[in-house]
Amino acid sequence: MGVTAVTDTAKFNASALDELIAKRQEPAWLVDLRRAAFETFCEKAMPSRKEEEWMRTDIRTFHLDKFDLPAELTEIPADLPSGLLTEGVDLGGRLVSYNSRTVSSELSEELKAQGVIFGSFSEVLASHPEIVRKHFAHAVDPHFDKFSAMHAAFFTTGQVLYVPRGVVVKKPLHALSLLGAGGVDLGHTLVILDEGAEATMLNETASIDESAPGLHCGAIELFVHPRARLRYINLQNWGHGVWHFAHQKGIVERDAHIQWTIGALGSKLSKVNQHVALAGVGAESEVNGVMFTEGRQHLSYHTLQHHEAPNCRSNFLYKTALQDRSRTVWRGMIKVDKDAQKTDGYQRNDNLLLTEHCRADSIPGLEIEADDVRCTHGATIGRVDEEQIFYAQCRGFTRKEAIRAIVIGFFQQVFDRIPVESVREALGKAIAVRVRDYE
Amino acid sequence: MAEFVRVASVDAIADPGKSVFEVDDQVVVVFHVDGQFSCLDDVCTHDDGPLGEGRLEGCTIACPRHGAKFDIRTGAALTMPATRATVCHEVKVEDGAVWVRLRS
Amino acid sequence: MATDITTDALESPVGEINKYDFRTETTGIFKARKGVDAEVVNQISDIKNEPDWMRKFRLDSLEIFNSKPMPKWGGDIAIDFQDIFYYLKPTDGQGHTWDDVPAEIKDTFERLGIPEAERKYLSGVKAQFESEVVYGSLQEDLAKKGVLFTDTDTAVREHPELLREYFGKVIAPDDNKFAALNSAVWSGGSFIYIPKGVKIDFPLQAYFRINAESMGQFERTLIIVDEGAQVHYVEGCTAPMYTTESLHSAVVEVICKKGSRCRYSTIQNWANNIYNLVTKRALAYRDATMEWVDGNLGSHLTMKYPAVYMMEPGARGEILSIAFSGKGQHQDTGAKLVHCAPNTTGQIVSKSISKDGGRGSYRGLVKVEEGATGSKSSVVCDALILDPQSRSDTYPYIEIAEPDVSIGHEASVSRIGEEQLFYLMSRGLSESEASTMIVNGFIEPLVKELPMEYAVELNRLIELQMEGSVG
Repeated sequence: MGVTAVTDTAKFNASALDELIAKRQEPAWLVDLRRAAFETFCEKAMPSRKEEEWMRTDIRTFHLDKFDLPAELTEIPADLPSGLLTEGVDLGGRLVSYNSRTVSSELSEELKAQGVIFGSFSEVLASHPEIVRKHFAHAVDPHFDKFSAMHAAFFTTGQVLYVPRGVVVKKPLHALSLLGAGGVDLGHTLVILDEGAEATMLNETASIDESAPGLHCGAIELFVHPRARLRYINLQNWGHGVWHFAHQKGIVERDAHIQWTIGALGSKLSKVNQHVALAGVGAESEVNGVMFTEGRQHLSYHTLQHHEAPNCRSNFLYKTALQDRSRTVWRGMIKVDKDAQKTDGYQRNDNLLLTEHCRADSIPGLEIEADDVRCTHGATIGRVDEEQIFYAQCRGFTRKEAIRAIVIGFFQQVFDRIPVESVREALGKAIAVRVRDYE
Repeated sequence: MAEFVRVASVDAIADPGKSVFEVDDQVVVVFHVDGQFSCLDDVCTHDDGPLGEGRLEGCTIACPRHGAKFDIRTGAALTMPATRATVCHEVKVEDGAVWVRLRS
Repeated sequence: MATDITTDALESPVGEINKYDFRTETTGIFKARKGVDAEVVNQISDIKNEPDWMRKFRLDSLEIFNSKPMPKWGGDIAIDFQDIFYYLKPTDGQGHTWDDVPAEIKDTFERLGIPEAERKYLSGVKAQFESEVVYGSLQEDLAKKGVLFTDTDTAVREHPELLREYFGKVIAPDDNKFAALNSAVWSGGSFIYIPKGVKIDFPLQAYFRINAESMGQFERTLIIVDEGAQVHYVEGCTAPMYTTESLHSAVVEVICKKGSRCRYSTIQNWANNIYNLVTKRALAYRDATMEWVDGNLGSHLTMKYPAVYMMEPGARGEILSIAFSGKGQHQDTGAKLVHCAPNTTGQIVSKSISKDGGRGSYRGLVKVEEGATGSKSSVVCDALILDPQSRSDTYPYIEIAEPDVSIGHEASVSRIGEEQLFYLMSRGLSESEASTMIVNGFIEPLVKELPMEYAVELNRLIELQMEGSVG
């Protein structure tokens, strides 16, 4: 604690990159990609509040030089948490990483036999290089900003899921990323569902220490090929000391379907770009977001539903509850290209302010260039209705119980859209625990 | 209750002048005018503008984004488009240095 | 040309001729000088014979204008600031004769049924003698009630303390680059003061000001509605406004004191080469109500977001906005509601129509500051896109720092429903007529808030705009 002038000298430098490249022995195309990304990283300045994207998210107290590149694991800590989403779930596969290094990787024999691939990035790069090459960095652009560039240059671990044509994976696959105190996670998630494939992936993050500093600079790329169906659940539950920067993009092809659920509970500051491109005729996307902030958290999520092709549907619902001095910024955009006729786009953001001193910014947006469309969006902001609390208290609830029930009720609409029961329960519990006694 | 944190030596900030510092994970502006020191949040309450980058005129600071003026001694909003005060932190001078204690 | 004395002027009352002569003398200095700098600003102040404080205000504002960057959002502003005349006396540029007015404009007047006297006023031809007869008695009536209604230049000279108390306090020159520009080179606009308890039951209109400098590029309007008073001010008209210069940047400041009520209606229909960049803001105090009725039909690019700051409990802000973007046009318009006190309420209704490749963008803000408990606001934005070449955007910003509120926002974009069209056409209307009817229905909530003659004109204008839009 104390005073620092606002400067930046990163350990993420050229020699560190050289070392990393030398150690990993990756194919030339990936090495080139890293180097090009590194150039962008060096050229671009740390984003400032003068840029529209960062005007509401001040990161001047973020100092990259306080974080080291992820190191080799010399020992794996005992008693690593197993995450919130897996209780009572029969999983088809499991991946765990700690501070950007893969700790364990399992996939059921049954799924292996069907040709499903699920493992760490390094594993899959070695065993199926062509699949990785065909998709890596084709969704999230490494040159978008300083953070995407840093990620592409220095990432080490990651999770790759590949499901072959027509294969229907019934058991969910689970990937857990963990951070220790001062840890850095640069993980890359790559999910590819080939034509007609189906799968459910649960992706979770957590910190060992609730308040220790940490850094996550990640990317998620989801490729849903024609007629495939992906259910992707992402629970961000970093400790309150973690800086969380992420670029996430899903590309949905002809007649394919994505259902993407985001739970955002953790981190000190989050700046996440979540983007779904409806790229093929008849593509559909459903996005569910649950956010609950407290303390001095600042969570900023920018989402985009981009209708590139005609006859696509997107349906987007984000619900946020805030307390203490926390702040959320949600910027959502439905963009409809000229050729995307017969678009059906829907977006909604509801916010519940539980105490004074918190602040919610809600900025839904529409940019429509086709005319035969139906696009609507809505946003509401309010508080828990005192009458409802009184009513519940008349029925024997304590004030705290009443508020908790009302808050769960607020999120119910989103929970109902989540297909995986363990996820619904885990989110419900995680939120219930956070609700306190308010005046 | 937060502690006083040493920010700079008394000579480090010109009179009249201002300087931006990071204190306990927050960014603040310290002003030095007519021999007095004061400290405000580096945030304009109108539109989160960078107050510290604004024009200092006497005892007022004008946000560079839309010109809202604040009293550097109290943080009070003096002109449109700001209507609320920005946070004013405690300042003391001791041992030839300026110390700041954050108010929430 | 500027030194010609038209027959119109000779018929004007004595007062007018004196003014005219004065202007003629100074015209020579001012002719053909483009661009804005301290010299031009000083000349403007000289010509208007202004007190020192206003001169200083202008010069300080010029510095601010020069130091501010262009906005990185909104429409495409391709202006060469040094290639524009910043001060045109009413007899230059705008002081052309009726013969100079382009045929299409005259034709539109005809089709819209605009009265003769108004046509000439609106085209910038010097006010006719008839106008004075018609509106002179109105002026007397207002004066008896203690109402001040004049152009802002006159107010600087004749009501300096009152003006100075409020001028630039709602919108400071620093607010944005174009407010700074206006603050440096403003000319014309209305100054209105309504004394306590006085309620004006007919709309005040810009062309009542017979001593006005008409249709300024940089109008500066200041309206003060004292406690319990009431007024409706109407700016502009549906008829196309013809001027030679392509940058218009007005500033409108309104103060509604306790218990007062003010409505400000505008129908803007500038010609299609104009950049119309306007800052309009009202402060509503305890239990006061401010209403903006804002119609944007013309111009190449309009950027305008009428705002109401609800400063004290019980204040209310309502903004009704319609934008019609046709070929080559971009209406980037909307509204702002800022709740600064408890128990304040607001409403924004925005209707936007885009056709023939036009682009209509709604841009708005609802902000509730901490402590503004019990605030309620709702925003409804509907947009119609009439063909695949056109574009519609919605950029609403909602910033809430107080839990005890109820804030809602809804927007939708679609085209004319096929069932509706089919229904009307099956009753004998052509597709074009049916579309027009539907569009008129779409904007009806705004139209019914206008004084009748404007409502009629607006409906006719929509008909004109819709012609040839289908097929």
